Amino acid sequence: MSHELTFQEEEYSRQLDFALWRRILRHAGRYWKQLLALSGAGLTVATVDVMLPLVTAWIIDEAMASGVTPRLWTYVVLYFGLCALLCSCIWLFIELAGQTSTGIAYDLRRKGFRRLQELSFSYFDVRPVGWLVTRLTSDVTKLSSLMPWFTLDLVWGSFLVLGITGAMFWLNWQLALAVLVIVPPLSIASVYFQKRLLASSRNMRRTNSMITASFSESISGVRTTKALVREEENLNEFRSLSTAMHQHCLRNALQSAVYLPIVVTLGSLGVGLALWRGGVDVLGPDSTLTLGVLIAFMQYAALFHMPIEELARRFTDLQAAQAAAERIQTLLDTEPEIQDSAEVRSRMAATAPHQAAGASNLAEDGCADTVRRIEFRNVSFWYKPDEPVLRSFNLTVEPGETIALVGATGGGKSTIVSLLARFYEPQEGEILIDDTDYRERSLHWWQSNLGIVLQSPVLFTGTIRENIRYGRLDASDAEIEAAARLVNAETFIRELDGGYEFDVGEMGSRLSTGQRQLMSLARAVLADPRVFILDEATSSVDTETEQLIQDGINKVLSGRISFVIAHRLSTIRAASRILVIDGGEVVEQGSHDELIRERGRYHDLYVGQFARQREAERLSGGEETGMAGA
Amino acid sequence: MKHMSAQFRAIWQLMEGQRLRYASAIAALVVASCFLYLAPLVPQIIIDGVLTGSAEDASGFTRRAVEVLGGEAFLRGNLWLPTVLIVIVTAIAGAFTYLRSRLSASACERIVQRVRERVYDHLQHLPCRFFDRAETGDLIQRSTSDVETLRTFLNTHVVEIGRALIMMLVPIPLMLMIDVRMTLLSVLLLPVIVGFSAFFFLRVKKAFRLADEAEASMTARIQENLAGIRVVRAFARQDHEEARFDQRNTEHRTCDYRLYRLMAWYWSTSDLLCMAQKSLVIGAGAYWIAVGTLQVGAYFYFITAVTMFIWPMRQMGRILTDLGKAQVALSRLDEILHEPRESVPADGEGMPAEPLTGEITFENVRFSHGEHSPVLQEISFRVPAGSSLAILGPSGSGKSTIVNLLLRLYDYEAGSIRLDGFELKELDRKFARSQMSVVMQEPFLYSKTLRENLRLARPTAHEEEIYEATTIAAVHESIAEFAHGYDTLVGERGVTLSGGQRQRVAIARALLQDPAVLILDDALSAVDTGTESIILDALRERAGRHTTILIAHRVSTVMHADRIIVLDHGRIVQQGTHAELMNAAGLYRRLWSAQHEAAAECEQSLEGDARGTPADRTTP
Repeated sequence: MSHELTFQEEEYSRQLDFALWRRILRHAGRYWKQLLALSGAGLTVATVDVMLPLVTAWIIDEAMASGVTPRLWTYVVLYFGLCALLCSCIWLFIELAGQTSTGIAYDLRRKGFRRLQELSFSYFDVRPVGWLVTRLTSDVTKLSSLMPWFTLDLVWGSFLVLGITGAMFWLNWQLALAVLVIVPPLSIASVYFQKRLLASSRNMRRTNSMITASFSESISGVRTTKALVREEENLNEFRSLSTAMHQHCLRNALQSAVYLPIVVTLGSLGVGLALWRGGVDVLGPDSTLTLGVLIAFMQYAALFHMPIEELARRFTDLQAAQAAAERIQTLLDTEPEIQDSAEVRSRMAATAPHQAAGASNLAEDGCADTVRRIEFRNVSFWYKPDEPVLRSFNLTVEPGETIALVGATGGGKSTIVSLLARFYEPQEGEILIDDTDYRERSLHWWQSNLGIVLQSPVLFTGTIRENIRYGRLDASDAEIEAAARLVNAETFIRELDGGYEFDVGEMGSRLSTGQRQLMSLARAVLADPRVFILDEATSSVDTETEQLIQDGINKVLSGRISFVIAHRLSTIRAASRILVIDGGEVVEQGSHDELIRERGRYHDLYVGQFARQREAERLSGGEETGMAGA
Repeated sequence: MKHMSAQFRAIWQLMEGQRLRYASAIAALVVASCFLYLAPLVPQIIIDGVLTGSAEDASGFTRRAVEVLGGEAFLRGNLWLPTVLIVIVTAIAGAFTYLRSRLSASACERIVQRVRERVYDHLQHLPCRFFDRAETGDLIQRSTSDVETLRTFLNTHVVEIGRALIMMLVPIPLMLMIDVRMTLLSVLLLPVIVGFSAFFFLRVKKAFRLADEAEASMTARIQENLAGIRVVRAFARQDHEEARFDQRNTEHRTCDYRLYRLMAWYWSTSDLLCMAQKSLVIGAGAYWIAVGTLQVGAYFYFITAVTMFIWPMRQMGRILTDLGKAQVALSRLDEILHEPRESVPADGEGMPAEPLTGEITFENVRFSHGEHSPVLQEISFRVPAGSSLAILGPSGSGKSTIVNLLLRLYDYEAGSIRLDGFELKELDRKFARSQMSVVMQEPFLYSKTLRENLRLARPTAHEEEIYEATTIAAVHESIAEFAHGYDTLVGERGVTLSGGQRQRVAIARALLQDPAVLILDDALSAVDTGTESIILDALRERAGRHTTILIAHRVSTVMHADRIIVLDHGRIVQQGTHAELMNAAGLYRRLWSAQHEAAAECEQSLEGDARGTPADRTTP
């Protein structure tokens, strides 16, 4: 299924999208208790933050006015008590944020993973695996950690701003007005710089990923680079990237280097104003302002930038996470193109109780649990309407038949088996199983009846045994070993360190291609499917393994309905029917002998393949194929 | 300790060329902190010297300061002056802070840029043997994340440590001048705070590692599931996969949550310690105010100063434990940088002045990978300039190794390879390579447009020349069919070309280079038979323009070459022209006959069948 497709990552959106965030917030619904408690903690912390300068003022005024009194010690103890309360709130909100963020992350990953298991292949065709992985890893992390901290800082920040303002007005409204002068410039500076910082850190990230790509290219293309003597030019191109990176990093650093002094200077202006206006008041004839209160004002002025800065930062975080939120929400919202129809689902619901009781020998969708005939009726398929991949394809197959599909790459062979497996559905025509359109059957039932061996065999991390068991999860060890024996895989398995318990590595990387092919055959055999689909590998393996694989295939195919995209002569010859596919159409059809006699496309294809194969065998000194070997 | 000193030496070397910047940054930092601590001194002086109304109680320092500022009476009438003073002092501190950040950031970024470029350049000049052993993922990890760790270290950690130390040291003389008792009290809990945070982070290292591992294994799970999604669907194993993913997802959640819990304890405890330090100052200060031995302004100053230096100290433990990470990253980078590069002859040598004609001679060449049995032995042949040589042999017979030796991707062990009579080992590698162009079986295209890829070898090539090359390589039409034609982006972020398309683009690229020697290393394996012969015919028309080496495993590909060698198990088993080899009994003739036997055997089998019952014919 090769077709020209490119995938572009979408750009970040600029405006806050409230509708989106409301939907995202729903994922946090289960944690409303934690979020509520988090808000409580934020409120308490803000209150304590407002109280501490106040208590300091009481301490100073008491100490200056009355000396060492029990009341002074009460205030000191109160101060320490507030500190302790603050610290327990800190403990509490980190704990709560932990529960919320890990919980939301877990839920989002579970939902996202499930959705990925349901989506159609057309979804995966255009999206690189790495891109999808990032959705469930860093995007989810970004979003899930944002939610509790945003909640906390929103509550803490706004209450602290309100609290400080309120306390100042309560203490002395004229002085409060003087100090509040700094708030507008503080807010403007914070919002402005946080936005700039966000932009420059995005540039940093983007350039960084380009640098990674560049390293990756320089390593995988090192031989070509050497052969073309491109070292200097490559380095120059890399230099321009690393210079860009340098500039973005420096810009980012300079932005915060400017921002922090501005905020601190504004804070000092507040302190200075408090000292000036307060000092005048203290020295005034009917002074009501104590030195303690003056000091409290100076502390408030110095404190003010913290909540404002934090609020500005959290809102930019929100903006930064919006792209991640969008991508996750879109993933969760994407409906699989191929899924059971409502009618099938209701039938399945009706059948389930009977099945559970064991009182039914019907399939899970309430139809007969048999596959007696498969029919393609006028099936057409395309990715783009003006470029049909398959045109009015007709075929009827019955048990015991092996259909070999041969022809050039891109002719439509893979499309036929993908349609059969319902990885895609035909745009026109229908595929019938025992005279019922397969869209009226359960997807799960149909795919459980298939055994598919792909051209490039994929194994999963785990042991040999686990990988074979993937074909049928409740298979016993003896059955697994029997399947391995049947496809001639046991010989190599026995030689592995640990035999069936050998760890095959990531994607089976510790096995050779031939061994992986045998493994995927064994896996399919264990499933004991009614319909067998085999996409033969074209990659060459050594003659001995080739023979083993061939024997294995022959044993597997007998007695089932099978479809083979065939490259090996013996598989082709053994097929009950051979379909030569080209340009999305069947150009020749018949048994091997019939088609050879016709001396058409198949004849040429076969003779060419035969010569190629024999030449390869002679070159590598292996046993030769002959007509008698059919 | 020796370990530590090595660590510091490595960092010191890294800073080469930027040490002056760092020194200036430190100077700016000292100035900035001085001014930063001067700012709260202004309210202290005003409160104690002017506002309390008992100036005679004030310390000598305060009284002198009041005099300097114009005397008590003047200040009483002009209270705006201290405000201006505070703002100016803070602004000066801010300016120096900015200078400090600018200097240190620019020094750090320069160092990092230099390291990046050195690693990149070094990797490109490492011999192929290195890449045979190394894992691509690991190399990329080192070149990117390890450099990033280094950057964080230089940019954040070095700066933070410096800042914390200086912020700690600068106010001490000032504080001592104001009140000795309060000064001692202000730093009482400091060792406890630093000690606690260092101890804590050493203890929880493992939890961090476990969380990282849990995340990595969860990611691997998703990755594998998606890469194998066809298998999952083929066996309808969605539920099983979800259950398996749930395991990793839960594990990751547990580990992550554990980190949060640890952090909850860490931050609340260290905050409590810091607050205890502050409370101590507040409580004791209040007592001394009450008994009349401390002034309110001084009290304010101490509260402010403690707040300023205590919070950075809290980070010290974390940073100290993170130093280990930077150390590891640095040593991993060093491992790459200490790998020996491909050898280069002394200046001016190995670069013949005359352009080469492309005559190639192999004499008793021998090569092996490490201690294994030789991959090539007793290889001798001569290719006159402008002629063509074909090498035929099964996979693993050593065909590609001959090309690798010729390109000096590997160095031959014994014997001699000569290019126009020059011993290859004595030529400059880059010079020798620039005389040849090679198309590999799995050619590599850079993530650039097709036009840029084609032009790589000769940036000055005209459009017509490009089209000529792509036409010979039978790929011009396929390119024209792309939506963006020659401007189509290929590679990871662009269109994925089929193997055959890639091979043909690479052939065009090689032709465009117009080298003395053209090497096609099984470069037509993914091209269909018809196109293959079109390309071979077109190449034959250019005969004489360059020496051609053609590697293949089919007789039909090699038969037209001027000379053919048949390779098996690293030795030449047959050598000659097509006609000569056809006349000799041997592998070559047997290969040739396979073609005809196939057709003949087909006929035979039909005749055998004809005696049986004729089957129904199905007309398509």
